[in-house]
Amino acid sequence: MKRLLVALVALAALWTSQVPGRAQDKLVVSIWGGSWRDLIAETAAKKFTQETGVPVEFITGGTIDRLNKAKLSKDSPESDITFTTSHVGWLYANDGLFEKLDLSKIPNAKNLAEPAKISPYHLGGWAYIYTIGYRTDLVKDVKFESWNDLWNPELKGKLAAPDFDPSHIIVVSAILSGADATQWEKGEAKLKALKPNFKAFYTNDANSQQLLANGETPVQVVLSMNAHYMIGQGVPITLTVPKEGGVLGIDTVAIMKGSPKAELAYKFINTLFDPAVQADIAKLKKGSPAVLNAKVDPEIAKLPGVFTTAEQWAKQINIDSKLRAEKTAEWRKWFAENIMN
Amino acid sequence: MTAAVSQSRPFVYLEPSPVVTQQPFLRVFVTPATLCAFGFAVAMIAVLQYSVRAYIPGSLEAGGFTLSNFVALLKPLYARVFLDTVWICFLTAFFTLIVGYPLAYALVFTPNVAIKSFVLVTVVTPLFLGEVVRTYSWIIVLGNNGFINSTLLKLGLIDSPVQFMFTKFGVVTALVHVTLPVMVIMLAAALSHIDRDYQKAAESLGAGPIRTFITVTLPLSAPGIVAGVTTAFAWTFSAFATPQLIGGGRVNMVSNLVYQLGFASFNFPFAAALCVAGLALTFITLWLFRWIARPLERMGPH
Repeated sequence: MKRLLVALVALAALWTSQVPGRAQDKLVVSIWGGSWRDLIAETAAKKFTQETGVPVEFITGGTIDRLNKAKLSKDSPESDITFTTSHVGWLYANDGLFEKLDLSKIPNAKNLAEPAKISPYHLGGWAYIYTIGYRTDLVKDVKFESWNDLWNPELKGKLAAPDFDPSHIIVVSAILSGADATQWEKGEAKLKALKPNFKAFYTNDANSQQLLANGETPVQVVLSMNAHYMIGQGVPITLTVPKEGGVLGIDTVAIMKGSPKAELAYKFINTLFDPAVQADIAKLKKGSPAVLNAKVDPEIAKLPGVFTTAEQWAKQINIDSKLRAEKTAEWRKWFAENIMN
Repeated sequence: MTAAVSQSRPFVYLEPSPVVTQQPFLRVFVTPATLCAFGFAVAMIAVLQYSVRAYIPGSLEAGGFTLSNFVALLKPLYARVFLDTVWICFLTAFFTLIVGYPLAYALVFTPNVAIKSFVLVTVVTPLFLGEVVRTYSWIIVLGNNGFINSTLLKLGLIDSPVQFMFTKFGVVTALVHVTLPVMVIMLAAALSHIDRDYQKAAESLGAGPIRTFITVTLPLSAPGIVAGVTTAFAWTFSAFATPQLIGGGRVNMVSNLVYQLGFASFNFPFAAALCVAGLALTFITLWLFRWIARPLERMGPH
């Protein structure tokens, strides 16, 4: 028994002596799992470690899981950096979970496109659009030049949209009805008219890809990066951008309030905005760089949802992320009550 | 001494060791269960208090006391989804019983070890796969280009694919598969407790196998049927992944509404109110079910 106790005490001493050392020499990044984690590991994190010698450790999870975890560990955050979508970032910021950024410590941020400067707390890391994607082999006689073409009766029972976020189609309906996101109610009747065309609502990226791949829903309001990935896998998909523009989505980066490694975190964010790193992000995931000085491969630059100029950014439908954070619940409820059920 | 006794008598009743019943050990053994119960109670209280607090748009914090979350539930949409949930649970429990009973019967009564093992492996293996994996495999079976539709098309029985996905039929089919192992295990336990002498007595009095089954085996297995159906019902009530993926937003159960309206849009108070209402509905339905099934339960072996 005594021996066991001695061993336990020794182990505890060893562990406590290890912890501060370990905590010092790594940067913890919170991000979605799978290809999102890999994307940052292969680009910004790799370069950051090369330059500073500090390894990057990832903690991964879904948007809501990570938000809840961050809320529960408010005073001693589990991560130093958090990646999340721009409007969800406002929920972190409103709850005082993000550090106010000192832009003088992120020199590369000066090249950010205007819409990527989300708030004093979080900045866009890359962008994409939600737009119309369709199976070229299954939808032959319909042209998609405007969002209005989704209402074509030919598409009855063919369309899918995300069930987790109806903001894209709600705002598009408002715009087509002569209003905007702040007066979204004006598009209610328009969106109700689209009901017969909906076949299903997808619940995550994997579900979206599966429903497109097996042809269950040959037309989707789809995330551009997902569609590009599937095209790369050989699925015959055409991704089009309507004349009104795609609905802009921005994934953002922020420093957690109370992080003991804020200086390293600033370095990490500056590395993320490095033009070469941003070009790599565009190359690997076919997303848009958040900065305007990235040297994007011309083949990638011409893809829908990849922007290299301020004019291209300005052409997209940009829902104010703060408004979106406040309206998501209301929109979601209206959508569930009037369109899905 | 014990060894000597056990050699002479195959069944030895061992007095419980006094060490185990001593208070300190009892406490140690009960602690994990108490901690779990405490955790569940705290979570339940958290859900209850969220359900009576106001939602503040754009914030994670809930506001002051309100009953508006429950008032919002009075819309016909929610009544419909709640009724749909009960109906889907009923269909699932019923069809799981129809499919599960012959399997449990074969598992218990077949003298052939190979058949017994085959049934056991077939029934239990799905438990090793997660619900999501099982559901994804059903998408492959039920889809427009799936196994069933492509077979029917090749045989020339249909001209265009039959819609199985995003329908109640598809959801119930997948839920029956998800629920089957539990049902079979519960039915097999009930069937194996039936004294074989009753069946032998019926046979010796001239009853054929069908009559023996209908008049002896089936009534004696009634408690197992009630337990199995109740469990399948309650188990299906909390189904999420299957209706979410196979239903594709067109077939919704209470848990999908909780996700759609609460979780995906950060409206935790409304989600909590839905949870509380769903829990109340489960209790009421199960209580009604037990009340209706009470005569059946009494039919079991005495």
